[in-house]
Amino acid sequence: MLPGIYEFSWDQGHIIFLGIFYSVVIVVATTVVIALFRALRRSSSARDSELARWHADFEDLAPKDRRCRHELSGEVASRTCENFFSCRECMQHQAFVALAEAAPRPPADAEVPPMVAGFALPADRLYHRGHTWVRPEEDGTLTVGLDDLGMHLMGKPDRLELPEPGTRLVTNGTAWRATKNGVTVRVMSPIEGEVLAVGGESDDWTLKLRPEGEKADTRHLLCVAEARPWMLREVERLHVALATEDVGAALADGGVPVDDLASAIPPQQFDEVCGMVFLEP
Amino acid sequence: MDSSLILRGVRRCSTKRFLAWLAPWAVMAGIGVFAIGLCLVKGLNQTNMDNRFAFGLWIFLDLAVIALGAGAFFTGFLLYILRRDELRAVINSAVVLGFICYSGAVLVLAVDVGQPLRAWFTFWHPNVHSMLTEVTFCITVYLTVLAIEYLPIVLKNRQLRKVPSFLVFEGELHKLMPVLAAVGTFLSFFHQGSLGGLYGVLQGRPFAFRDGFAIWPTTFFLFILSAIATGPAFVLLTTSIVSKISGARLVRHGVYELLAKISGWLLIIYVGLKSVDTIVWLNQTAPRSGINPSQFYAWQPFGTWVLIVEIVLLGLVPALIFMSPARRRSLPWLLTGSVLACLGVALNRLVMTIQTLAVPTLKFEPFMTYWPSWQEVATFLFVIAYGVILYSLSFRYLRLFPQEREMQKY
Repeated sequence: MLPGIYEFSWDQGHIIFLGIFYSVVIVVATTVVIALFRALRRSSSARDSELARWHADFEDLAPKDRRCRHELSGEVASRTCENFFSCRECMQHQAFVALAEAAPRPPADAEVPPMVAGFALPADRLYHRGHTWVRPEEDGTLTVGLDDLGMHLMGKPDRLELPEPGTRLVTNGTAWRATKNGVTVRVMSPIEGEVLAVGGESDDWTLKLRPEGEKADTRHLLCVAEARPWMLREVERLHVALATEDVGAALADGGVPVDDLASAIPPQQFDEVCGMVFLEP
Repeated sequence: MDSSLILRGVRRCSTKRFLAWLAPWAVMAGIGVFAIGLCLVKGLNQTNMDNRFAFGLWIFLDLAVIALGAGAFFTGFLLYILRRDELRAVINSAVVLGFICYSGAVLVLAVDVGQPLRAWFTFWHPNVHSMLTEVTFCITVYLTVLAIEYLPIVLKNRQLRKVPSFLVFEGELHKLMPVLAAVGTFLSFFHQGSLGGLYGVLQGRPFAFRDGFAIWPTTFFLFILSAIATGPAFVLLTTSIVSKISGARLVRHGVYELLAKISGWLLIIYVGLKSVDTIVWLNQTAPRSGINPSQFYAWQPFGTWVLIVEIVLLGLVPALIFMSPARRRSLPWLLTGSVLACLGVALNRLVMTIQTLAVPTLKFEPFMTYWPSWQEVATFLFVIAYGVILYSLSFRYLRLFPQEREMQKY
């Protein structure tokens, strides 16, 4: 095993066999030590921990839950996002944007209907794939809230864990946690920034943020024109998720969604639906 | 009761039903623990092994599960090194199966050595000229690698993933997985081979002895080939059984087809080389040792039928099933092929272990038969029960099949 131990000798057999063995052991041990070292270094950073959580969640999403925004808007036939919905770093996104800017623009619709499949999509804000929105305010701050589908689902939560003012949020990290009917979900932060204030029960917003840097970088968020096909897809996913085995997926051809979806969804499915909607598999 | 531990979007049976499923396996494991205790406390006189049958049921079990467990390293090799991304659908399950197979084998070896407290001697005073030493070293290190590969799967459990540092560590380990897959491939390649080489170098046992290449007898290469050929078939078999029992679709049919195709091509190469090896052995190697090869098959139950069943029924037939695109489209055919392929590798290991020792090599030696004691059987069954329990727990609480959620209705 080692020089000095009974029966060890410096012959060809010992040198080759033990040389290979020790090399393998060193490779395995080094791999684990590197992983541990990097993990310890990153764990001390709240930002890195939040990103690690999102990356793990994203990898567990099914490909059909990771459709690219440009597929949803019809710019490309099929494209699965591999970039953790971080369009800022996506080269393809930049190419699509450049292409769209170069193309002749169709005349703007006289009036964009503010509702999609019964869910409101006001045009004054930008939307995040985790069902939150951001509204840039005139004073340079950002207002963040749950979108209409998210509000219908969580309604008035039984428990809300909001960040303290002064907390720095990370894009795609945890913004707050909400518990409804025994199901807890983490709501993703649509943008990075420092929490300035939290909303009350009567407010239609949840957080006010001071953006990182002079101006908020919102390239990864969906404008209302992009949010419309996305919301349609989300409603379709919801219908499929709630389909019963005997009927199958069916789309309602009238009416509006009930205010309190949580009460309308069977308890055994509510957890599953919340995970699907808030991207927490 | 345990719903908070179960992943979102997957269907699992009630806790009560799950416990009812585990109960008989737990009883089986309990009896096995008692038998293992007897062997450890009273010694190997609890077994029917003796000076002639130093290898018995346990070594057969070791060889068989290590061959079937090759699905772990081979799937990892195909996924991380050859970039067959379709196999991501079964890699977690393959790792768990590999861990179960190898840990079960090491556990039985610990009982089999008779004095487990001295097991460290093999590491401290290794005989570097022995194939068994290489097997011991490789299996130990590879089991460690499998445990490291298993860890990220465990850390992504629904409750454990709430601890931020666990997910960070999981992410970092995941980045380094190709390194571990390459190391696993290297280790597995050599210990699978050395297990075969172990028999091929037995000059005093003409039934097993083979010529070879450099220091490696042909059995070295045949063991590697048979293991990597049946590993994917075993992954296919277990996945379809789990799918049937759980009532959930776990992977797309294309994944089954790919596993079968890989298994089929490797099996047909194996069957070809095994046939050539057998012909050379019967006509050259064995006669050179002064033994008429017909004597190898003169005693029942080890007649020539064993050879034919092993090569044709459990080798060629599953290979042809897997190689046929039409058969691959049918799950019953795939299941049939997988069962035959897995039985084939098990029969091969049984023959190499038991028949090698049973066949007399000297004129005055009798043909000896061996039948395991109940303690040996109970220890064997313990490994089976341990495997079922660990796999059941893993399937219930961990994400073994990433496509499962997708295969559900939304």
